[in-house]
Amino acid sequence: MTNLIEARGLSKSYGSYQALKSVDFSVARGKIVGLVGPNGAGKTTILKAILGLTSYEGELKVLGLEPDRQRHEIMQKVSFIADVAVLPRWLKVENALEFVTEVHPNFNLERAKYFLSKTNIPMKAKVKELSKGMVAQLHLALVMSIEAELLVLDEPTLGLDILFRKEFYNQLLTEFFDEGRSILVTTHQIEEIENLLTDLLFIRDGKIILDASMEEIADKYIEVMVSKENAEKAEALNPVMQRDVFGRKVYLFEGVSREELELLGELHSPSVADLFVAKMKEGK
Amino acid sequence: MTNITWNDQQPIYKQLKEKVIELIIDEEVCDGEAVPSVRQVAADYQINPLTVSKAYQELVDETILEKRRGLGMFVTESARDKLLESEKNHFLKVEWPKIMQKIVRLGLSTDKLINNKNENPEVQ
Repeated sequence: MTNLIEARGLSKSYGSYQALKSVDFSVARGKIVGLVGPNGAGKTTILKAILGLTSYEGELKVLGLEPDRQRHEIMQKVSFIADVAVLPRWLKVENALEFVTEVHPNFNLERAKYFLSKTNIPMKAKVKELSKGMVAQLHLALVMSIEAELLVLDEPTLGLDILFRKEFYNQLLTEFFDEGRSILVTTHQIEEIENLLTDLLFIRDGKIILDASMEEIADKYIEVMVSKENAEKAEALNPVMQRDVFGRKVYLFEGVSREELELLGELHSPSVADLFVAKMKEGK
Repeated sequence: MTNITWNDQQPIYKQLKEKVIELIIDEEVCDGEAVPSVRQVAADYQINPLTVSKAYQELVDETILEKRRGLGMFVTESARDKLLESEKNHFLKVEWPKIMQKIVRLGLSTDKLINNKNENPEVQ
């Protein structure tokens, strides 16, 4: 089995509101996939469905299991960090370790202690005495000590300063990620992790509007800085977006060959943030 | 390896490969020495491990790096000489003609070019 997640026609309605409109996507083993979309696009609903936290229609397999019926089995192989801190404030760090040891069959206590020994978090401290960054570190230490095949991260670095954010992904890469595991991550700070990703999923209004590997994206989406004389020629090639920079125009093209574009000006790869803006405006 | 700012005109693995070549030529990593692990480089630069592997793999294909089982990646014995040779070639064939063109276009004399260094000591 190479796909850790496989969704076909995945749908979810809250009353008359359709949060997910029959989406198809998959996450292969060894990938780091970014799920990106504006607020209310359906990201959290997808994550909830994967974790078995909500009912859904359509077909969804996570590690070959069905989340709405086999949540218990899935939870043994899937880890999750949510954007909302869910550790009880009165809990001591050492109690948190004891608790997870008791409830999780795949938790490696020694590993967790090792991770914590590299931080400034005292074992005797209560969660409420820790800074926001420390709570995130504690979370990460717990989660990375679970022998999970799939890690789901929902805005894991929200509210953390840049040093903690870097350290967070640094830890993830040195201590957790390998070709046998996959990470699915949502974040609004996409520019910070775009080089980390292997694949990108854009979601808008409950639909997946982009599903591609970073290499495919680099081949397909090209930005060209065009001087005024060439503007007409560029526009004839149907750019998906244009913006002005220092009196020159920057056009974003989808699926136009490099050879053709090279005649117009200097080629660049768009940042994921620029691509996101373009795709969100498309057809609106 | 210290800081790199990636440009958006070339894939990152190409830029990383160039950086490794630079380090070898500058003898910051010498022939026969180990280069940092894929994992380490990925974490240091917050890039995907596959990107690092791809850069290393191209250098292996060009016999600049070699994989030693269980030990990691090492610079091959004659890597620096090989790189110097190919970099010199590249400079003479690709970069120098462009510089020449510009020199001709600006009408700069040999004398002016050579003595310029002394007039502007900060530009060397």
